[in-house]
Amino acid sequence: MAKRGRTAFIIAFLSPAVLLYGIFVVWPLLQSFYLSFYRWKGISENRTFIGGENFAQLFKDEAFHKALSNNLWILVVGGFAIMALSILLAHGMQSNKPAVKALRGLYLFPQVISLVIVAIIWQFMLNPSYGLLTQGAAKVGITGVDKPLANSSQALAAVGVAFVWYAIGFYIMLFGAGLKQIPEEVSEAAELDGSTGWNKFWQITWPLLWSIKRIASIYIVINVLNIFALVWVMTEGGPNRATETLLTLLYKSAFKESAYGYGTSVAVANFALAMILAVILMFVFRKNPEERRG
Amino acid sequence: MKKVITGLGLILFAMTIIVPLLWVILTSLKSTPEIFRSPWGLPESPQWANYSNAWSKEGIGGSFKNTGIVTIATLALLIPVGAMAAYIFAKYPFRGSKTLSGIFMGGMMFPNFLIVIPLYFLLRQMSMLDTLTGLVVAYVAYSLSFTIFVLTGFFQALPNELAEAAQLDGCGHFSTFSRIMLPLAKPGLIVVGIFNAIGLWNEYPLAKVLVLSNENRTLPLAIVDLATAQQYASDWGALFAGLVIVMLPVMVVYWIFRDKIHETMLAGAVK
Repeated sequence: MAKRGRTAFIIAFLSPAVLLYGIFVVWPLLQSFYLSFYRWKGISENRTFIGGENFAQLFKDEAFHKALSNNLWILVVGGFAIMALSILLAHGMQSNKPAVKALRGLYLFPQVISLVIVAIIWQFMLNPSYGLLTQGAAKVGITGVDKPLANSSQALAAVGVAFVWYAIGFYIMLFGAGLKQIPEEVSEAAELDGSTGWNKFWQITWPLLWSIKRIASIYIVINVLNIFALVWVMTEGGPNRATETLLTLLYKSAFKESAYGYGTSVAVANFALAMILAVILMFVFRKNPEERRG
Repeated sequence: MKKVITGLGLILFAMTIIVPLLWVILTSLKSTPEIFRSPWGLPESPQWANYSNAWSKEGIGGSFKNTGIVTIATLALLIPVGAMAAYIFAKYPFRGSKTLSGIFMGGMMFPNFLIVIPLYFLLRQMSMLDTLTGLVVAYVAYSLSFTIFVLTGFFQALPNELAEAAQLDGCGHFSTFSRIMLPLAKPGLIVVGIFNAIGLWNEYPLAKVLVLSNENRTLPLAIVDLATAQQYASDWGALFAGLVIVMLPVMVVYWIFRDKIHETMLAGAVK
């Protein structure tokens, strides 16, 4: 493009975005790392440098252990549930019948309504005295699940179910698109070779979904590390920290207990966890098996 | 046989989505005693008063206004700022532009909530804590990554020859953008606007931290407060009406634009 005035134009067009993003996103991010080395109650003069003490305390903190293990539990159990269910449902929704088309419009509803609404709906579904699921379970003779959100051995699973309900539509969409990309000929050739059902799925479909599986895994990690509103509204991390996650712990430390320095160290730990998981994903998905074969 | 199982599975799946949402809508038309008496039946006679109670008595109306203002103001700032930056990244490569756009894209990867503590103090220093202005500024900054990402794709798809022809006709950099390129990117602007509008309407974590007073509450904050209060008070009808007021606009907008939304989500993800 024309050279005259190019630099001035670039500066003029980029600076609003750079300023806003720099001041309100990048600068606070840098400050997060800095503040995690301080003890700080929120009054600016009283900031004490304590080196790695916040992190030392963090690694000893049972609440942090609990939050970390809860996040990982949702990541692994919820992640597998999402993967399995969405592949299954995407498979079932390959046709173009009007009913299936309508369902394709429906399945993103849980994702487009506010997470806050999702949380409140699930609170009601699991309400001890008239929740559809709790009462339904009692009707068919399943006992012991009458108040899952107040039961510290069931609350995390209950939150996990709500999370899967909220998130799954997007993954069905992803895998649906992935299945559509598999050429008819490949599928037909496999059937001619006598490969059908499960066999065909494991030998043909599963490996061909490689890139979709990679994308889905990345999104699941981002989704799970982002969990806050759902848990906060459903349980506030309780009962007894049974559903504590890294971000509810961050919120409590900073805005309930005014331990701002400690709160930012939780943030930094979450950031580190994201990096570690990214490296693991890069390792797991380092090579597309299909490319190697071809 | 296989078809029957698939069909049953899909019906079951559809029910898990439809039943809870429909239940909220039906319950919003029941009186509170009726909700307790028959929580799963149809409403005997629709209680439209629940809606006026939610709107005025429970303060959902005020929050609706706040959320409306914040959403519109954010979009009005975000779309031009994002489009300008995206246009540069797409059509004016310079030394370091890859790195800079990488820094913007990075914002989509980590949870926004991670930097909320320094942000809280930054806004307090600027006297923008607990103001709608502060919330708007934070929302614009946070939404830039996604907005620039999507719009860069749209601008890249526009042929360079168009811009070159415009410049031969004497258009400067700015008028090439505003008269030729921006109108052509309109579908992208609309999609990105809808996406952001839905996200902003629903946003909870940042608002939870950056808004303190009742009169500045956005809808998600107000509905959570209402749900919490109902554990002690007892206007369940108004609570459910409130839930419908929060979710219905989003559901309608999504339903109208669902094909476009699916397309953009997929394009963004698979890239």
